[in-house]
Amino acid sequence: MSEAIFEIHGLNKSFGSTHANRNINLSLKKGEIRGLIGENGSGKSTLISQIAGLYGSDSGEMFIGGEPYAPVDAYDHKISMVLQELGVVGNLPVGVNVFLGRTKQFTKYGVLNGTAMRKAAAQVFEQWDLPMPPLSARMGDMLIETRKMVELARALSVDPNILLLDEITQSLSLNNRQKLYQLLQKLKAMGRSVILITHDVEEMIEITDTITILRDGEVVGELVSAETTPDQVKRMMVGRDISGDYYRADMAPDYREQVALEVKDLTVPGELEDISFQLHEGEILGFCGLSDSGIHAVGKAVFGLSRPSAGSVRLESKNMEITKPMQALDNNMGYVPKDRDNEAMMIEASIRENFTLPSLRELTGPVAYVSPKRMNRLAGEMVEKMSVKCTGIFQSVSALSGGNKQKINLGRWLAKDLKVLVLDCPTRGVDVGVKAYIYGLMKQAKQEGIATILISDELTEVIGMADRLLVMKDGKITREISRGAEFTEQAIIEVMI
Amino acid sequence: MSKMKEKLRKLNFQDVVPFVAFIVIFLFFTFASYNSRTGTFQMLTLRNLNTIVSQAMITIVVATGAMFVVAQGSTDLSVGVNLALSGVIGSYVAYITGIDWLLIPVSLAMGLIVGIFNGVIVSKCKVSSFMLTLAMLIGVRGLVNYLQTFTDVQSIPGSLSFLSNSAVKIPLFIVILVIMCYVFEFTKVGRYSRAIGENETTAKFVGIPTDRLKIIAFALSGLMAGVGAIFYIINMGGTSNQMGSFLEIRVIMAIYLGGVLVTGGSSAKFYKILLGSFSIQIIITGLALIGKSDVQYSQTVQGLLLLLILFLSMLAGSRRRRHVEHLEVSEEAGKAKVIDRK
Amino acid sequence: MENAVSTPKAEKHRSSALPLLILIAAMVLVGLVVNLFTGGSFLASKNLEVILSNSIYPTFLAWGLCFTFACGYTDMSMGGVLVLGSFAVCAFGNAFGYVGVVLGGLVVGTLLVFINFGIFASTRIPSWIASISLAMVYEALAVALRSWKLTKSAVDAELASGLRALGKWPLNAVLLVIGFVVVYFIYNKTTVGLNVRALGGNTTVARAMGINIPKTILCVGLICGLLVGVGAIVQESYNVKTYASSGLTSIQLIFKPLAIALLAQVLQKWINIIIVVPFCSVIIYAIFNIMTFFGVPSGTLQDVCLGVFVILFGILGQRGYKGVVK
Repeated sequence: MSEAIFEIHGLNKSFGSTHANRNINLSLKKGEIRGLIGENGSGKSTLISQIAGLYGSDSGEMFIGGEPYAPVDAYDHKISMVLQELGVVGNLPVGVNVFLGRTKQFTKYGVLNGTAMRKAAAQVFEQWDLPMPPLSARMGDMLIETRKMVELARALSVDPNILLLDEITQSLSLNNRQKLYQLLQKLKAMGRSVILITHDVEEMIEITDTITILRDGEVVGELVSAETTPDQVKRMMVGRDISGDYYRADMAPDYREQVALEVKDLTVPGELEDISFQLHEGEILGFCGLSDSGIHAVGKAVFGLSRPSAGSVRLESKNMEITKPMQALDNNMGYVPKDRDNEAMMIEASIRENFTLPSLRELTGPVAYVSPKRMNRLAGEMVEKMSVKCTGIFQSVSALSGGNKQKINLGRWLAKDLKVLVLDCPTRGVDVGVKAYIYGLMKQAKQEGIATILISDELTEVIGMADRLLVMKDGKITREISRGAEFTEQAIIEVMI
Repeated sequence: MSKMKEKLRKLNFQDVVPFVAFIVIFLFFTFASYNSRTGTFQMLTLRNLNTIVSQAMITIVVATGAMFVVAQGSTDLSVGVNLALSGVIGSYVAYITGIDWLLIPVSLAMGLIVGIFNGVIVSKCKVSSFMLTLAMLIGVRGLVNYLQTFTDVQSIPGSLSFLSNSAVKIPLFIVILVIMCYVFEFTKVGRYSRAIGENETTAKFVGIPTDRLKIIAFALSGLMAGVGAIFYIINMGGTSNQMGSFLEIRVIMAIYLGGVLVTGGSSAKFYKILLGSFSIQIIITGLALIGKSDVQYSQTVQGLLLLLILFLSMLAGSRRRRHVEHLEVSEEAGKAKVIDRK
Repeated sequence: MENAVSTPKAEKHRSSALPLLILIAAMVLVGLVVNLFTGGSFLASKNLEVILSNSIYPTFLAWGLCFTFACGYTDMSMGGVLVLGSFAVCAFGNAFGYVGVVLGGLVVGTLLVFINFGIFASTRIPSWIASISLAMVYEALAVALRSWKLTKSAVDAELASGLRALGKWPLNAVLLVIGFVVVYFIYNKTTVGLNVRALGGNTTVARAMGINIPKTILCVGLICGLLVGVGAIVQESYNVKTYASSGLTSIQLIFKPLAIALLAQVLQKWINIIIVVPFCSVIIYAIFNIMTFFGVPSGTLQDVCLGVFVILFGILGQRGYKGVVK
């Protein structure tokens, strides 16, 4: 049992200027079930993808049974995976999906023996005691849960020595979860190793032997599951330096009476259900919940980017309903989306274009003239005000670091006369310095009476900044907590999960 | 000197290539057209330069509209047939009503209608603009051919023939150019169009009405095809059976040859239309000057050149883009990576 | 990309058989009705033969387009390849008999389409514009071949009357059946077929599962090339002579195949796309045949309808369609 089958030494990975993983070391024993846990963005998915060979590594080494392992063809090394980023191919039959990329073994004279393949697929499902799907049906006609089970069968069909599972349980029913747990025990008994990720801390402690905790791309600890408690794990997950004074110092809600925005019974099919809240001037209203709880959908819906089936978003100062993003733009609202590079930035355009994009209406003079001079002035002022490190306003944004990009992302709204600002994970992927700076800006905006919605995956951030907090689960608001004694991680996590 | 160096360093590979291409093309045909008998460069004769300008005119006019569509990362292959349709209908209406000036509003309206149709289908039905405008290319050409079976070839109405006078035509052309340049470079429509080409999701998330802008872009493209029809009738003295054929390719080539990326965005600059249009026209005229006017030569040269220029700008583009790919890693990486910009 | 596959409300196991029967029944029914209106001439054996013979070579091209779409490409130069292939069929056929007919078409078709796919895969220029450039070159080449003294007589001639059997009943139908069996097997029962569908369905998964993407794409190029080659053989044998013209008119040649492939994409929700293509082909040609019956002028108003069809099927079948500009 003590023989290490798989080892990682000093693995690094960065995307552009963002460090996803720093100097990761990990050692996996034969027959060990290892849990990887960490907050969103802590680098656990990146790590598992690196092991699976989906991403390369910048530096560091991996070994299997003492042999160097380069994950170009993970299957050859009997490593197989069920990853979030992967999935199934909807336009192919279920049976083919199980053996995708390895269908050659069933071909004779170039012709595929479908019967033999279906038989082999059926065998995989039987061998591992998984519910049998209709093997010749189209994969796209299957439910999400069945798709996950097929992915699992696909991973098991190579008879893996190491199985990687990323967030598989959350899409399974109770029944199939039990089957999965049994499967893990079976693998363990066979001397196979498993690395798995799940958000559910209790579940993780229950089913794993050991737990590795990641934070900001670094391993911060390893625990033996039998000797730990959920609290300890959670503490280590979020346990960064919360004492830092960049959050708010006051511990009581503090905002004006005047309502800036009112959301009533908002329902977006499949995303939100009956969401109602009031946002006041000078208030920071926090939203937290697990990543699929609908918190991000709230931001989109408020800015008019969704198609609600019921309910309304009302901007009080203008006494109007927001149904289209253009109305939001034209009426002093701002939205900082979560995925900066794909949703917020024009990566290849210049700093000036990025800064001025939401302000073009204000910059338009007579005869619809958008003066380049005024654009330059605005961009220049903002670069200075936000202290963006760059060579000039005509530099392409792609060359900037994540933090500087985020300053532009935020700054372009602060250049306007804002009433309502929606922030979706504003400090994602930026370093501590920029983080502190962004919190400073939020405080300043609060002073000026701007109503802010702060959506975040990071509990500490919401706790540190928000006046009130709405906890969401399954698209619904489950609890409202005001700034005060109740504002602790433990209390909130209880409600979240 | 160091300032010079700094400037050179800042010059974008992608912006330089079209200039170099233009100069190479120009010099090549200038020297190739040297006539040892008369001792002149035929390329540089006043008459020839005049021909180049007047022929490039139609391409340029139509391209100023199509530019909005290309800037958004879409494409409009229907401008050629749209020009034909507008011209044929415009002159037919002028002919049957006997009111000569009707040619102008009817042509413009016709072009606009086709453009708006394109825009609505592309933005509301989410069909790829390439597929749609290709279908228009065949469908509208069929319609034009059908109309021409009974409208016959119409020559320019007598009272409008003053337009073909250079003293009227050239200023008119310049005014149109200035207006379109203004709209593209100095108004929200132009800037938003480029933003859509850069990243449509960003544009949408900032609050830009992307659907409406797509319709506006296609409408402008159609409108300018209508203007192009009027210029065609002025230049050629009337409609013809071959009206507008192959024009869509010449327009698209002009824009790409000028250095605009297929993905549009901030690579779209107005001056590139002129650069590209003249490059194309010099190739066509130049080939004729050196006795290779046959279609197989010009079409081969154009086809290969288009491939080459796209390849070069692709290289330049991918060099910049590479390190941005997969930048954002997260739990949702799988979802987020479905990049909209394909 | 998994999200692109919409989640159904319930799991169901679909089979092609019933929808196919419904489609055939509908075709027969409509045929009978039209037959009544045309006084029995629509379903006359002569007319049916015209429709069926006409629809065979576009079927091959449409299959080729289905494979092309499956890797996310659009190849607009297939028309140009078809013309050059037909030239080869004519020139080599007249010189070497049936061996020349078959080899000429297959070799030229395969070679050129293979080059196309090589260019798409290696340069990463969007395939629609790259293929338009290539179409220009191929067209120019065809025009040149017709005007060069050396090649003019060989290319500009008619295919000898003894060599036309492959374009006529019943050999063309035999070719169609053989083609269908082969294409069906490749698409559904071979590793290459499954890999290309995986590629079109979910590139990330395909790559992670160890599928060699460049190799798969080139294989598809080869398959498409062969299909276009067969198309050229049938086309030249049926039409006897092929004309070349410039100005991207060759794109017009693949417009009916395009309409067929797009219609097949709409119907593939219910019926396997390879099976449904020949039926779509018959439907499209029957529609144009009917139009001719009712006096709609061909080449003009019929082209308008063709454009409308492409737009309509494009809108309906856009699901699962990718790799083209916005």
